[in-house]
Amino acid sequence: MLSHTYITQPVLCLLCWRRRELSQFPEACIFLLYLLSTDKSVLDMTNPKPKAESQSDEAEDPDGGWGWVLVGALFVSTSLVFGLMRSLGIFFVEFVQYFDESAHAISWISSTGLAAQQFFSPLGAALCNAYNARVVVMTGGLLAGLGLILASQATRLYHLYLTMGVISGLGWGLVFTPMVATVMAHFTRRRTLALGLAFSSIGLSSFAFNPLFQLLVEKYAWRGALLILGGLSLNIVPCGALIRPRRRSKAPAKVDSETGLSPVSVLRRISSYLELSLLSERPYVTYTLGITLLNVGYFVPYFHLVAHSRQAGFSEYQSAFVMSAAGASDILGRIVSGWFSDLGHFRLIHLLSAWTTLAGVFIMLLPLSSLSGSYSALMVISLLYGFCSGALTSVVFVVVPLIVGVERMMGALGLLQLIESWAGLLGTPLSGFLKDVTGNYVASFTVAGSFLILGTLTMATLPHYFSCTDPPPPPQRSSLDDKNNGLHSELEHMTSSPGSDTNHRGV
Amino acid sequence: MLASWKQLIFQILLLLISCRHINTTSPDPTPPPLVPIDSLPRDVRRAAFKGEGQIEKVEVLNPVNLELVCTWTGHQDKESNITGFWRKDGLEIENSHLTVQLENEQYQLQRVFNIVSEENLGNYSCVFESEVKIDFVVAVPQIGEIRDKPIVTYVGDSGMITCKMEDSKPMPNTWKWYKANGTDKEEIFAAAERQRYEIKNNERKTKLLVNNLTMADSGLYYCGAVYTLSTSMGHVELKVITYFEPLKPFIAIVIEVIILVTAILLFERSRSKKNDTEGDMMSDQTNTLSPGENNGLEESSSMRQRKT
Repeated sequence: MLSHTYITQPVLCLLCWRRRELSQFPEACIFLLYLLSTDKSVLDMTNPKPKAESQSDEAEDPDGGWGWVLVGALFVSTSLVFGLMRSLGIFFVEFVQYFDESAHAISWISSTGLAAQQFFSPLGAALCNAYNARVVVMTGGLLAGLGLILASQATRLYHLYLTMGVISGLGWGLVFTPMVATVMAHFTRRRTLALGLAFSSIGLSSFAFNPLFQLLVEKYAWRGALLILGGLSLNIVPCGALIRPRRRSKAPAKVDSETGLSPVSVLRRISSYLELSLLSERPYVTYTLGITLLNVGYFVPYFHLVAHSRQAGFSEYQSAFVMSAAGASDILGRIVSGWFSDLGHFRLIHLLSAWTTLAGVFIMLLPLSSLSGSYSALMVISLLYGFCSGALTSVVFVVVPLIVGVERMMGALGLLQLIESWAGLLGTPLSGFLKDVTGNYVASFTVAGSFLILGTLTMATLPHYFSCTDPPPPPQRSSLDDKNNGLHSELEHMTSSPGSDTNHRGV
Repeated sequence: MLASWKQLIFQILLLLISCRHINTTSPDPTPPPLVPIDSLPRDVRRAAFKGEGQIEKVEVLNPVNLELVCTWTGHQDKESNITGFWRKDGLEIENSHLTVQLENEQYQLQRVFNIVSEENLGNYSCVFESEVKIDFVVAVPQIGEIRDKPIVTYVGDSGMITCKMEDSKPMPNTWKWYKANGTDKEEIFAAAERQRYEIKNNERKTKLLVNNLTMADSGLYYCGAVYTLSTSMGHVELKVITYFEPLKPFIAIVIEVIILVTAILLFERSRSKKNDTEGDMMSDQTNTLSPGENNGLEESSSMRQRKT
């Protein structure tokens, strides 16, 4: 067990999720936990961006130019956030040996990191609404790097929880949501493709980071490797610097007409930055609920597929290969789905429903194909499942703009991340419990697939679901606020937009 | 002075003469037994010749009377008598030549060896006609699960080396740790240097904790599983490096980040300066057109919104 291949590690890790089989595969479990936790974040990443950008934004960056530079920045920062999280399993083995702790205790590091990232997403969104996205992302990058650098000096386990978990998690939370929202803001027609390309970085970077981290740990031990990783994470800062500061028409609308610092006005401002009013709107809540249900079942195959194929009688390497193949088709699915969605033949919500239903169906078919004993059937279904699950992640984000509008995209993203994180916490223990009770994975997979289909059905209750064209976007927030603010913002629009237009036309 | 020199030479000569008769590498395993030979347990190992380079592993823990039995089916034209003898560690055992009869279509060589001390362990071979050989490696259980890659630690940090005897093999009586000193091994006594070394022994696992590492602590460490007859060794390399090692790539990356950020910000500032100068020129023109333009822009954007 001391010399792992990079395939068997994730595979064996999957066997250990939730510490059930930890006693048999300690190192694998730790790694598995990491893999799982980072897969969660994959779905989190698909936060939808509001489509209706402000007028000045649309005129400034119509689907190209600087937008693609930002896609590259998102590619790099996503790989440094989630790709890094996925590959941290290699450190777990070292931690167990150094700190002489159980794998259970070590696995909490990644859980804390992921939980912090999801929890602080609304905070990141709110700060972007209040201030500048560029500053927030750069600060997030600094925090993420700082957390890892401090972790390299840890002498106790709880130091790791605080540094790698809380500080880095806070940094990651400040990076991810703002970057995604900013990239979505720069595109209108090619949003899905842009996101698909950027999120393919997770799969690709985890392929690259596994051997790299292994090499770093062998050469410098975990302390030196964490120090170097902290430095690598600092590369998020230049990615954030690429975000052009723009005059946000939202900012004036957000600023209260009251200038006092009374608790009421402060609370109101905070709630407007966090977009808490979204929680009272039916379409957003329906969509969030649908995505949450999707999340319950989404990660189950990642956790249990390898264990299931081992149970069905396939060898360690065969099971690992199935998982790797699913991962590869996941990357492909993201890019293809992004390209296809932007062709405009179908409504995004319909495409999302289609991919989700297909993924649910394939998850339910997984146990049947492996129980039949045919390796090729299992491989085919896994490839199809991987493709569909990647395809749906590209689209999930882009649907939200259609629902909430451009202005509230940032806050909507943050809230969605926070809410859907609970689903992941529910889904995998439930599937593990079902496996313990029934003795095999058939029930877990069936329930997971049905959760996905349930999510589709929930999304079908969205208004205007069955029409062939997208519904009109919701009215701009400025018109809903009291008239003073509305007029004020419109005036600002009129005076600012020509100036900003000419500024950018000159570029 | 001269007398004492003569005495010395005489004593040395005596010593050399007597030494010639002492054969320390005697293949005949009969050193004075600590336990009467007859009361030792008896163990039998059989092996049939299968092919060239055949090696049979025999694990022994405690003193035992080990009987090794070799059988060989012979060539096609089977002679009734062939010669056979035994070797230990490549050297012929004296008085072990036997004439072997063909019984039941096979030849059989057997001999009882008294395995009572470490000297008796080794490679025993039975040889038929100087051509057919079966090796028996008689040894204590070897440590299998051991880290092959060096353990990297830092100066001032503490390093832990673990050795484990597999569950399938018998438990050792105790564990001992050695540090390599040139070609020799020095035993580590944790009790003597409590500040630096700590040995935690479990039945199957042993851990050596070295505190307050220095560069001199680098090297090979040997863990020995002590059995009655002998100690089986496993080695792990400990590498101690200073913090400057990882600091070098780290600083390189930080410098790269700073350069990138500065370049991006400078690039943007130069662009915005260009825009400011252009914008000043253009704003004079646009100010006169602004009311009309605003209306046009608003209409077009609202139309765009309705379409999407």
